[in-house]
Amino acid sequence: MERRPIVCATRGGEASRRTQERAIALAKERGADLIFLYVVDPTFAGPVSDTLAAAMEDELKRLGRSLLSIAQARAQERGVRARTVVRAGPVWETIKAYLNEAGAETLVLGAPGDKVDEAADVGDVGRLAEEVRRDTGVEVVVV
Amino acid sequence: MEGFLHAQGLIILLVLVATLVAIVVRRIRFPYTVSLVLVGLFLSVQRPLDVEVTPELILAIFVPPLIFEAAFHLDFSLLRENLTPILVLAVPGVALTTLIVGGIVAAGTGMDLGAASVFGALIAATDPVAVIALFRALGVSRRLAVALEGESLFNDGTAIVLFRIALAAALSGYFSPVEGLFDFTEVALGGIAIGTALGWLTAQLIARLEDRLVVTTLTTLLAYGAYLSAEQLHVSGVLAVVMAGLVCGNVGLAGASPTTKIMLFNLWEYLAFLANSLVFLLIGLTVDLAQLATNLGPIGVAVAAVLISRVVVVYGLSWLAHAGRSRPHIPLRWRHVLFWGGLRGAISLALALSLPAVLPERETLQAMAFGVMLFTLLGQGTTIHFLLRKLGLISLPQHRLAREKRLGRLFAAQAGLRRLERLHREGLLTDEMWAGLRDDYHQARQRLIEEMNRLFREHAELEREMLIQARREALQAERGALGDALRRGLISTVVYEELTEEVDRRLEALEMIQAALHGERAGELERDGA
Repeated sequence: MERRPIVCATRGGEASRRTQERAIALAKERGADLIFLYVVDPTFAGPVSDTLAAAMEDELKRLGRSLLSIAQARAQERGVRARTVVRAGPVWETIKAYLNEAGAETLVLGAPGDKVDEAADVGDVGRLAEEVRRDTGVEVVVV
Repeated sequence: MEGFLHAQGLIILLVLVATLVAIVVRRIRFPYTVSLVLVGLFLSVQRPLDVEVTPELILAIFVPPLIFEAAFHLDFSLLRENLTPILVLAVPGVALTTLIVGGIVAAGTGMDLGAASVFGALIAATDPVAVIALFRALGVSRRLAVALEGESLFNDGTAIVLFRIALAAALSGYFSPVEGLFDFTEVALGGIAIGTALGWLTAQLIARLEDRLVVTTLTTLLAYGAYLSAEQLHVSGVLAVVMAGLVCGNVGLAGASPTTKIMLFNLWEYLAFLANSLVFLLIGLTVDLAQLATNLGPIGVAVAAVLISRVVVVYGLSWLAHAGRSRPHIPLRWRHVLFWGGLRGAISLALALSLPAVLPERETLQAMAFGVMLFTLLGQGTTIHFLLRKLGLISLPQHRLAREKRLGRLFAAQAGLRRLERLHREGLLTDEMWAGLRDDYHQARQRLIEEMNRLFREHAELEREMLIQARREALQAERGALGDALRRGLISTVVYEELTEEVDRRLEALEMIQAALHGERAGELERDGA
């Protein structure tokens, strides 16, 4: 029976490399597919004009795509089948929705590193990881 | 006509000297403004230029753009966070400086207390432009820069008002503290009201106008108009410019297009650079070394008085400003920087030059003012770098420096390789020579790429920063290409403006993303500082 995928939520911060390495190792060990997920939430900028908000969202998506494609290449080098997904919305709700959509077995994520994360309300990772575990039944690994 | 040509020639000469100084200091990494003073001093000794520096020239021509640019760029939310300590340092701080310096100078030199207080007021305004430039270069916390810059903006206004009150008292021999307080409040509030009103009015116009040339002209009118109208009404011109710049920069810019914003920032950065260059060059040119030599005693007293007053104001008043708070507004390490970063410049120069000839101690007061300015610029301005390093306030950690170094080497290696390729193509290098040199370069480049990869593995955030930086470069290239397309007639002005605005909006978005990421690094240092 094919294993359910592992989702690695990453934002390119300080902990991201460790988080990705851990997710790749876990996927290799379990023979599971790996999905790198980047959630764009441009609300950290506060109230800005619609056009600027759209430009920020688009630039963050581009950044996300680039970061994830680097992570994907690294996973593939290690023989792990990996794909990338970029979504927009409030970070935790979007992650939870995606875990359900992908039928994920495990979520791997790192501790927050910057203001983008703080403003996106991902400050208390431990508490929120527990909430994801409770709401989705998915195993959560915090790196 | 001849007078006009002479003035024009002189201005061109001064700008040329300033430009040469700017080119040289970029190579030797020495504070620009300090270098200008030194060059000015050297020129005045070697071959005195026929320059008449009047207080009106400094206050009405150079000070408005300097203050307007600083206020225009100041982030209101950051200013609001630090408003209490800034106002404490800039209002009661300036009054206290005037009293302490006045008292020490009177006691130390035997000078009349009235004249000593005039000196206390004229030397109370800080001018940290050299320090702020250093902060930017070294990546010091933006909040610390705002604290120092905000204090300087507001204390310029309060020092000028106090100076006029102290001077009137010294000349008339009469001083009433109640009247003085009333005058001070009236002049300061009047300037604030005029500046706020004009700034708000201009902001409303900017929001409704699309022509960026008109908008840019409006801001120029605002900077000088606020100063002149306030001075005409006998209220503080400097405070009017501060408020006009703050309101226009924070309210007016919200409604401006990204392209207009870039144009405004570039224009004001240039005007401030020009004004700043000329002011510091003129400080050097105006100082009379012989006059300083004959007044070494009073200058020593003045320097000591200024340092003592700065200790009392920075450590004493900022302690009072956050009494009762669990976390101080200004961490202790920052206060050391505020103390040593309290340089004196343009405002003190203008006020010293404006001392009337009827004041008996005029010569001594001017010598003391120039002495203090030179001490703070040459002594403090050249050593603050060491203090910042010692206090661990330079937010450029080793791994960031390592990335920059490798990036620099990679960039240089690429240029070297291109050059060799060209020499080979032109037949100046044999195939064997080219192959040998090329392999060597390729190996060096490979080594650097591996080192960069290792750095990215250990510090993943550097990779993200690199991606943002690369995207910004790409957008700037896109912008340049649009300009080329316009010049070659491939696109019309309308399309050019629409597309450049889109690129500028993306550049602004990237800047905000980068600022949010940078905010965390500065935040770490601030927390450490507390």
